[in-house]
Parts: sequence; structure tokens; C-alpha cells
Amino acid sequence: MKKFPFWAWFWVVLGVLYLFLPLYGTLDFSLRMVRDQLSFAAYEVVLRDPKFAATFSYSFIMALWTILASTLLIVPTAYWVHLKLPQLRPLVELVTLLVFVVPAIVLVFGLLRIYSRPPLALTNSDLGADILLVAGYVCLSFPYMYRAVDTGLRAIDVRTLTEAAQSLGANWLTILLRVVLPNLRVAVLSGAFLTFAIVIGEYTLSVYLARPAFGPYMQLLGRTRAYEPAALAIMSLTLTWTCVGIIQLLGRGVPGQGQLAGTR
Amino acid sequence: MAFLELDNVSKSFGQVEAVQNFNLQAERGEFVSFLGPSGCGKTTTLRMIAGFELPTAGTILISGNDVTFKPPQKRNTGMVFQAYALFPNMTVADNIGFGLKVAKKPSAEIKKRVAEMLALIKMEKFGDRYPYQLSGGQQQRVALARAIAIQPQVLLLDEPLSALDAKIRVALRQEIRAIQRELGITTVYVTHDQEEALSLSDRVVVMNNGCIEQVGTPFEIYNFPQTEFTAQFVGTLNRIGATVRDVANGELLIDSQRIVTAQKLEGVSNGTAVTLSIRPERISFAADGRKPNGLNVRVENITFLGSIVRVQVRAGDNVFLMDTFNNPFLKLPDIGDVVEITFSKEAVLVLKHA
Repeated sequence: MKKFPFWAWFWVVLGVLYLFLPLYGTLDFSLRMVRDQLSFAAYEVVLRDPKFAATFSYSFIMALWTILASTLLIVPTAYWVHLKLPQLRPLVELVTLLVFVVPAIVLVFGLLRIYSRPPLALTNSDLGADILLVAGYVCLSFPYMYRAVDTGLRAIDVRTLTEAAQSLGANWLTILLRVVLPNLRVAVLSGAFLTFAIVIGEYTLSVYLARPAFGPYMQLLGRTRAYEPAALAIMSLTLTWTCVGIIQLLGRGVPGQGQLAGTR
Repeated sequence: MAFLELDNVSKSFGQVEAVQNFNLQAERGEFVSFLGPSGCGKTTTLRMIAGFELPTAGTILISGNDVTFKPPQKRNTGMVFQAYALFPNMTVADNIGFGLKVAKKPSAEIKKRVAEMLALIKMEKFGDRYPYQLSGGQQQRVALARAIAIQPQVLLLDEPLSALDAKIRVALRQEIRAIQRELGITTVYVTHDQEEALSLSDRVVVMNNGCIEQVGTPFEIYNFPQTEFTAQFVGTLNRIGATVRDVANGELLIDSQRIVTAQKLEGVSNGTAVTLSIRPERISFAADGRKPNGLNVRVENITFLGSIVRVQVRAGDNVFLMDTFNNPFLKLPDIGDVVEITFSKEAVLVLKHA
């Protein structure tokens, strides 16, 4: 008879407790706004606050622009590097990882220093500041989006597919739009959802660019209220996990792409 | 004038000369195979015809037009890849119709042409399937249909059967040849499989180290190899050390036993050591009496290969093979027996680079 793997289960249970006990604590706390009973009162207060809807929808729209911009920037770049400049791949990877080295605070002060004076005084208008914010978010999303797209490209033998399309008379734009991008759907979507999750909770860039985003709202709430920030943290976490769940589902549903791009 | 012409084409990758002074003239509708080991330059040459690589020197002409520096999408060549290269996001029908859509053909014409192609590859019921729902052989047939749907001037096939199992490979190569004959497309086929090259081609180009070793019909390549490389690479070949006994009469000695070659001995004198080549299937057991070329040999091994039996024999320091048809009523010698074998004087070739 096979011996029960006691130590394996011990470490698994310990890991789960380590991760989930704080979450459980937060969840429990968020439900105790009304004395001596469990309720969703804190959640109701948060959802009724007009600033919640305003800041969340603002961050949502910024996230969509970020995803669009990073897709347009990263997909052709990663494709070209794979196809024509494979020797540059380590360098491009290094560039995309720079955001882990350069803190967001340094990034935002750099942006403010350059774009708050002529000739490109973008911080003087809402539109300009939004553009700067999206640009900053694109930088923050680099490692996630690039890795997802890069893994997707490795999975589809992009060189041979490109050559096959070329021999059939297709130009570069046709190849990119009809052959490469559709086959990177899962990779781009997984990168997009990770970007979405990052942008929704981002604080530093939006606060220093004085934008009405969801991150600063959560921070403000945390300083002035007790139960509502806990409720907001649980909601934010649920949103992120939903995004990850959608990525997993998409990864399973695409023919020939059994694994989730970006997680191989 | 030839339909496809490669004139002194060379290609270097840094210091490596992948292809050197490649010359070929293929007629319209001809099936030409590039045969050689890995790294001999055959795929590079094919890719230069397709436009995926640019030659370092030389010119490539298709139907009299210089296409040397034209981009691949403007050459009107159809390409079939070893890895199928079907677009995973498209159905079989969409894959086949891709080139026609890109060329902005009317949708009715595309539909008609796709149906014709599906009928040609006998996959009429598979139009709505995705590549991942097909077997390797089916995928390659779709890739072939996709390549010929655009009615290319030249069809290029880069080891298209290498990823398939043996039985499907044989069936599909016959199909490829039948379709090529039916449509009369000038075809260049790259392979390292001699059986494929010999069975499919009108002409075979044997390549080694970026150079052409020999160009000829399969019959010429197999029976009259002009270089040692061709002789060794195509088919199984015995290389036997011998000494010239009499130049004038074509007499040679193998292990002190006299044999004769029909080949004129040039550039050698009596006593010169040479290397001979004899195909295993040209050697047989001597039935009765001495034949023009009879050799006493010792049987070292007998291998049963189904339709033939391969016998390994030794004469002095020379070990070589002979193939005999499997005859259940023929008594084979035992290992260790000394037997007499024979071969015609025409079967004995003195290799150029002996």
C-alpha cells in the first residue's frame, strides 16, 4: 500500500494557510461594519460612493488605452525581433524588464520634468496628462505584455508561417493582421488582462500626475475609513483573480494552443 | 530557353560558402530534385529561388524574367514546407484560398478554385476543418493544394515528406508526382532521401558542400555515378581496394584474384592501387564454372531483408555486400563457407577519385 505523503501535504497546507489566512482576515473584517453581525454594509457604502464609479471608470478607460497602445507597440516589435533580429532578443527583454529596476516614482518624475515645460507641456491639460499616464502605464506593462507575446510567437513557428504567407503573395501588413495577430490572440489577451490588473490598482503614476484614478481613491479611502478599504481590497482582488481566470479559460479554448501563453 | 534558370548562383553566410557556382536549367513542367546530405546547400538554393534568401552572386531567371532580387511575394512561386506551415487560425478551405484572397480574386472564383483543389487532393469533406484536426499527411496535402491554388510558375517543395511515417510518405510522393504531371508545373524538390529523389524526379541534382556533384536522370545518377560522393551517397555501394594488373586489358587484382573491368583505365599504370565500386545487386553466386569475373570469398554474415537477402563476404582485407532475391527454394551458404561470386565486367567501376 502506498504511504500517505504526510510531509508533502504538510507543506501544501502550510502554504495555503500562509496565503489565505490574511485574505480571510481582510474578508472577515470587511463584513463586520455592523456591530455583532456579518453584512455587506461596507461594500454598499463603497459602491454607493460616486467617486468609486468615477475613479473606477476612469482607470478602466485608461487601461483600455494602455492595452491598445502596448499591443500596437509590442506585437510588431516582438514579431520583427523574432523574424529579423533574433540576436537582439536578450537586449529587448532587458529593456522590457527595466521597470522592475527603475521605480515608478523615478519614472513619473522623469515624465514630469520633460513634459511639464515647452515644447511638450503635456501636464498643462487633462488630455496631455492622460497621454502621459497611458505612456507610463505602457512602460509598466512592458514585462507582462512582451513576455506573453514573446511566448506566443515561440509557440507558432512564426518564421515559417511568414514565409508561407509571403510565397502566397501576402505583404507585411496582411501577414501581421491575418496570420500573426490571430494566432497570438491568447498571448495578447493574457498580456492585456495582466496589464488591466496592474493599471486598475496603480497608484504612484496617477497620484503624481494628479489623475482621478482608482489607485489613489483606494489609498484615500484607506486613510479615512476603517471597513471600506478592506471591502475595496477584496473587490480589487476578486477583479484581478477574475482576469487571471479568464486568461486560463481563453488558453484552454483555442485550438492548438493548449497552454496559456505567458505562463509556459 | 529554359523555364527556370540558375546561373552561377552563390550564397555565403559570413565566412561560410553555403552554395558555390550553382548552375541549373530546368524546362517547363520538369521535376527536378536537389539531393544531398544535411548542410550541402540544397535548401539554401531552394530558398534563393523562393526569394527568402538573396544570392551573393549569380542570377535566377523564371520564364526569362530576372527575379534574383524580387521579394518572395512577387515571384509567383508556390512553396511547401517540411513543417506544413498551415495557418492554425484558418480552416482548410481558408488556407487553400488564402493566396487567392490576397490576390483579391472574386469570391465566386475563390470558392470554385478551393473546391477544385479539395477535389484534387481528395479532401472534399475536410474544407471546414482546422489544421489541428488533420493528420500529418492530410496537412501536407492541404499545404500542397494551397501552394498550387495560386497557379504558381514554379512549385518548390522543401523536404515535404520528412515528418511523415514511411507508408504515408510513399503514398503521398506518388500523389505529388501525379498532381505535378497533371498540372505540368515546373517543380523543384529538396530531399536527403535518395529513394524519394530517384522515384519522383525527371532529373536529380546531387549536391555536396555547396557544390553540384552530378546532374542527371535517376537512371544515370544510380548506374553511372561520376564522382565518388555520388556513388557513395546514392544507393549502397561496395568500395573495394584493388591493384591494376594490365592497363591495356582492364585487368585488376583483388586479393590476388584476377578480375576485369569494361571501363577504360586512364591515368594509372600497372601496379597502381585503385578503389573499385560495385553495387551489391550486381553481384551473384556463381552457379557453375568460372565466369569472366569470379571471386572466391568467405561468407561472414547473412541478413534477411524480406524481398532480398544481404550477404556480407570477405576477400582478403576487403569486406563487401551482395544482394540476392529472396528465393525460399534456394539453399543459401552457411556463415564461414567459401563460395564463388561473380559479376559482369560492366559492373566494376573504377572511381574517379580513387
